[in-house]
Amino acid sequence: MRILTWLPGRLLGAAVVLVGASALIFAAVRFLPGDYAQIVLGPLASAQEREALRTEFGFDRTVGEQYLLWLGQAVTGNFGHSLASGQPVAGELAARLPVTALLTAMAVVWTVVIGVPLGILAGTRTGTTRSTAAGRLVSSLGVSVPDYVLAAVVVFALSSLPLGPSVGAVGAPAQDLGGTLLALLPPSLVLAVFTIAATARATRDAVLNVLVEPHVSAAVARGETRLFIITHHVLRNAAVPVLTLTGTITAMLLGGAVIVESVFDVSGLGSYLVQGLGRRDYPVIQTCVLLATTVFVLMSLIVDVVTGLLDPRVAVSGRSR
Amino acid sequence: MKDTATESTTRPRNPVRGALASFDALTLTCAGVLALLTLAAVAGPLAGVGGDPTAIVGPRLAPPSAEYPLGTDSLGRSLLPRVIEGVGTTLVVSAVAVLCTAVISTAGGIVAGYHGGAVNGVVMRIGDVLYAFPAIILAILVASVVGPGRTAALVSIVLVTVPLMTRMVGAAARLVCVRDYVTAARISGVSAPRIMVRHVLTNVSGTVAVQTTYALSVAILVEGGLSFLGYGVQLPASSLGLLIQEGTVYMVKAPWALLAPSVILVLAIVAINVIGDSLRDRFEPRKARSL
Amino acid sequence: MTKRLAVASTALVLLVPLAACGADPGPAADPAAEEEPGYLAVADTSLEGTGTLRVHLDYDTAEAAGLDPRSADVARSWSLMGLSYDTLVEVGPDFEFLPSLAESWRTPDPTTYVFTLRDDAVFSNGRPMTARDVRRSLEHLLESESTWAAQLGPVESVEETGEHEVTVRLEHPHTAFLGALANTPAGILPMEEVDGGSVDLTAEMVGTGPYVATEHIQDESWTFEVNEHYWGEPPAVERLEISIVADEFNRAAALRDGSADFAYFNNIDTLDQLEAEPAARVVFQENTDFYYLILNSANPGSPLADDRVRFAVNAAVDRNQLSELALGGHARPTGVAPATLPDACPAGELPSALLDDDEIAEILEEAGVTEVELSLVTFNSETAPGQIAQVVQQQLAGHGLSVDIDIVDDASFGAALYSGSTATDDMGVSWYAGYGDASMVSRWWNTDTAAFTADFMVGDPAVNDLVVQAGRTPRGPEREAVIADLCAAVDERSEVVPLVTRPSVIGYRTDAVSPTLHSVEGYGDILRNITDFRLVSS
Repeated sequence: MRILTWLPGRLLGAAVVLVGASALIFAAVRFLPGDYAQIVLGPLASAQEREALRTEFGFDRTVGEQYLLWLGQAVTGNFGHSLASGQPVAGELAARLPVTALLTAMAVVWTVVIGVPLGILAGTRTGTTRSTAAGRLVSSLGVSVPDYVLAAVVVFALSSLPLGPSVGAVGAPAQDLGGTLLALLPPSLVLAVFTIAATARATRDAVLNVLVEPHVSAAVARGETRLFIITHHVLRNAAVPVLTLTGTITAMLLGGAVIVESVFDVSGLGSYLVQGLGRRDYPVIQTCVLLATTVFVLMSLIVDVVTGLLDPRVAVSGRSR
Repeated sequence: MKDTATESTTRPRNPVRGALASFDALTLTCAGVLALLTLAAVAGPLAGVGGDPTAIVGPRLAPPSAEYPLGTDSLGRSLLPRVIEGVGTTLVVSAVAVLCTAVISTAGGIVAGYHGGAVNGVVMRIGDVLYAFPAIILAILVASVVGPGRTAALVSIVLVTVPLMTRMVGAAARLVCVRDYVTAARISGVSAPRIMVRHVLTNVSGTVAVQTTYALSVAILVEGGLSFLGYGVQLPASSLGLLIQEGTVYMVKAPWALLAPSVILVLAIVAINVIGDSLRDRFEPRKARSL
Repeated sequence: MTKRLAVASTALVLLVPLAACGADPGPAADPAAEEEPGYLAVADTSLEGTGTLRVHLDYDTAEAAGLDPRSADVARSWSLMGLSYDTLVEVGPDFEFLPSLAESWRTPDPTTYVFTLRDDAVFSNGRPMTARDVRRSLEHLLESESTWAAQLGPVESVEETGEHEVTVRLEHPHTAFLGALANTPAGILPMEEVDGGSVDLTAEMVGTGPYVATEHIQDESWTFEVNEHYWGEPPAVERLEISIVADEFNRAAALRDGSADFAYFNNIDTLDQLEAEPAARVVFQENTDFYYLILNSANPGSPLADDRVRFAVNAAVDRNQLSELALGGHARPTGVAPATLPDACPAGELPSALLDDDEIAEILEEAGVTEVELSLVTFNSETAPGQIAQVVQQQLAGHGLSVDIDIVDDASFGAALYSGSTATDDMGVSWYAGYGDASMVSRWWNTDTAAFTADFMVGDPAVNDLVVQAGRTPRGPEREAVIADLCAAVDERSEVVPLVTRPSVIGYRTDAVSPTLHSVEGYGDILRNITDFRLVSS
């Protein structure tokens, strides 16, 4: 297997990226003005009280020391305790992760179910100049409407209609899966607008790429039906680039969840991170960002492996990515 | 296939000859929209259209009228000059940032592509570290550390856009670097910087142009997102993102305050993306196009 | 397909104005109107529903000492902890004091308070409250050296003087003593269990109050259920589901769609945004809290180190216009004694208010300050401070002073002004809680005791003396005179300039709840009268 020749290097690269990202986030949060001692004690506290609390949190150690300590624990699954709640971050994350995972998964489903067919349609349909122009406009519109505007408008519109709760109705998926899915429908759609459009655009390009291949021209010349050409030639060959993009945007959805979760008042990873940032709750920020980067790196890795299996030629460029 | 995109692959053109006339009507319209927005942003303040954007002049959250064509905001400032100023701020911040991105990414991408191997690995891993961060979190972190404002927005946009563009330019550069004429130049002893500029740069310029355009649309989104979260351009100055943020707060009572900046923002990004698509169809032979 | 998508996108863009047009604001009642003197709303006692009330609040309690109320600093902590903990006395609608755990009290002399305790108060663990719990609770608070321990004042001794009697002796008269006792940090705790080690105050709340917390997810939610041992009338609200919803917009949405019955808002314009909702009643509650403008006197490099310049800047700020533009006219100009409290000083008579533009220009010229740029920092977790900053900027621009504004997040704001080292920003906008007595907040102008102000405030012995005097003089005309002097002195020093009061907005669904709300609140405790609330149906 060709894959075995580049996989170890790729894994090593992934590990380097993770350690680099964790060091970067660790340093970055400590550069933020203010800290949790300041926040929780408020302006009226004395300097002594703040110092005492900082010592309690271990902020008096050097940053390098703190980092190694944290990293050492993180490897064993102990991400420290939230400064704000005193609870283990791992536990708080475990409670919120299913919601974000579900939200993201739903967005991925919309992306694949709507984006890919749309892209194939746009790529294979010979339309008039006007309809092509409309398609280009619409696909551009999808990647142009900011999620924060869309989310706010949708929240307002839903809250004005007699449809029941519009925000904050997301419960624990384990207790009420149906209710959670329903409550996550609007935010997941808002989240997916960008990725649907991006996927449709990429799919259309991939399809167009395949259509100019000689074997497709040959198939057309042989008089095969359009449907047959699409399913047998186009889809198979367009799969690799589409898969690559889907993997990438799936990981990016976590970032998008930050704004969408905030606006829809969903208690997930994104809103947890935003709260942590506002509070300077270092362990929370570090863990959330580490998780997001890990997902991203893993997704890229999986995509590379799958593409490598599907199309060995890509493996080389896969390594360079 | 009557798509202009396919035409360009069947009938490859010299990129230098990509004159205005060869672009389709939609692309030209979009370029017109952008030109118009730029003109408004430049000429509007010079001509004093709508008055002083920071002056508190009228009733709060007044609907559009002859006196205040786009209504007023929550402090009674006329929205017309604020929107004009906002377009200018957003375009300038985004454009300057993307220019920086283009320079950094082109240099990084070409060097990585030319040397390949370890150099490529290091450049790409650094890019990966940044790329792996959720963009908006990266932007918030930068803005918090630098302090909210134009500089923060600028640095954030650069950090968010550099990784992808470096990757794309790097990939294109690698394809160029394995070509015969580059190998020939190497063997005949032409210096590395000379090869990078004369051969590699000229051949990836199309990719650079296309990616710069896309980066510009991302930049506008990021600027908006940052301002929306309160980390971007500071009041009483105005930017599209800031106006949108204010607009969402008063959406129920004063929908006009949200509508005007949102529509303009979307218009600008759509226009830039359409132009980017056209440029790509022109500059990048379809087979070499990478996702 | 693409056409359909285009139609869908267009529909979304059109939704904004359409939805707004659909909600035609009818003739709305004055949201600041009182139903009864001192009350914005009085619960309709004919309603007999019982059950759950869903409340949306803007932020959760997060205190360094967890759930121990003694060092609780912020209003939400006071509200939430106040559901479980009772205090000896309560504040009435006119800032008079009403019995609570203390049935009655007498003050044989100005430094002695004798409290007669209820004999039927029982902690939620079933144990009756004793005089010892009261004594130890006050001692526990005093030991903490917290902000509230300082507000409680110069307590010399706390003694159990009877089975149901506790006597507190003060070193000197302290007018705000009852005002301090009336707030949650002075709540009565199950000290027998605490001292015995079986109750950890930082982790659980075992009080005599009407509710027991049954679930808490930090920054997400609280569930409170009725305390079966509660000594008062059983409340109609048997269960409180409190959601922490950070975004103002979402709380408004929840009130509109009926997923919240009762919600708190910061932005004064929410009032207008919700008026169109037929089932929602929105009232505007005055607070004793007020916004202030820091003019940094501690940084020698700043033009504001010059007393004359600070006073001129103060005079250049028009508080009435500030209220109109930044707070929709709902805020009141105030001096250092909150305008909404008894014994307040008229803001219109402050020395700075008597200066005209020419006099301001003259002072600035005399001080050699013509073209300066001043930096101003404020925070973005509420709308008003940024709005106030921009109005101040425009007002100062009229006097040739340019202001550069930074609106940052809470932590950055704290780091800029309250870090423990001299602040470099020239100005700052924030607010203080006004509490329940005119002398309480003025303590923050006494640089001898309020150490945290040292970063931006040099202080003045004369002001410090007046603060002490205001704290010792009993309520009435004599103190009114002291406070008038204090207001004038603070105004002339212009180090921390009181601007306007900080109103808040409360929204509730009339098809769910009929609440009792004071017109003016001193401790930001919007759930103060929760046991009087009535529910429409169960």
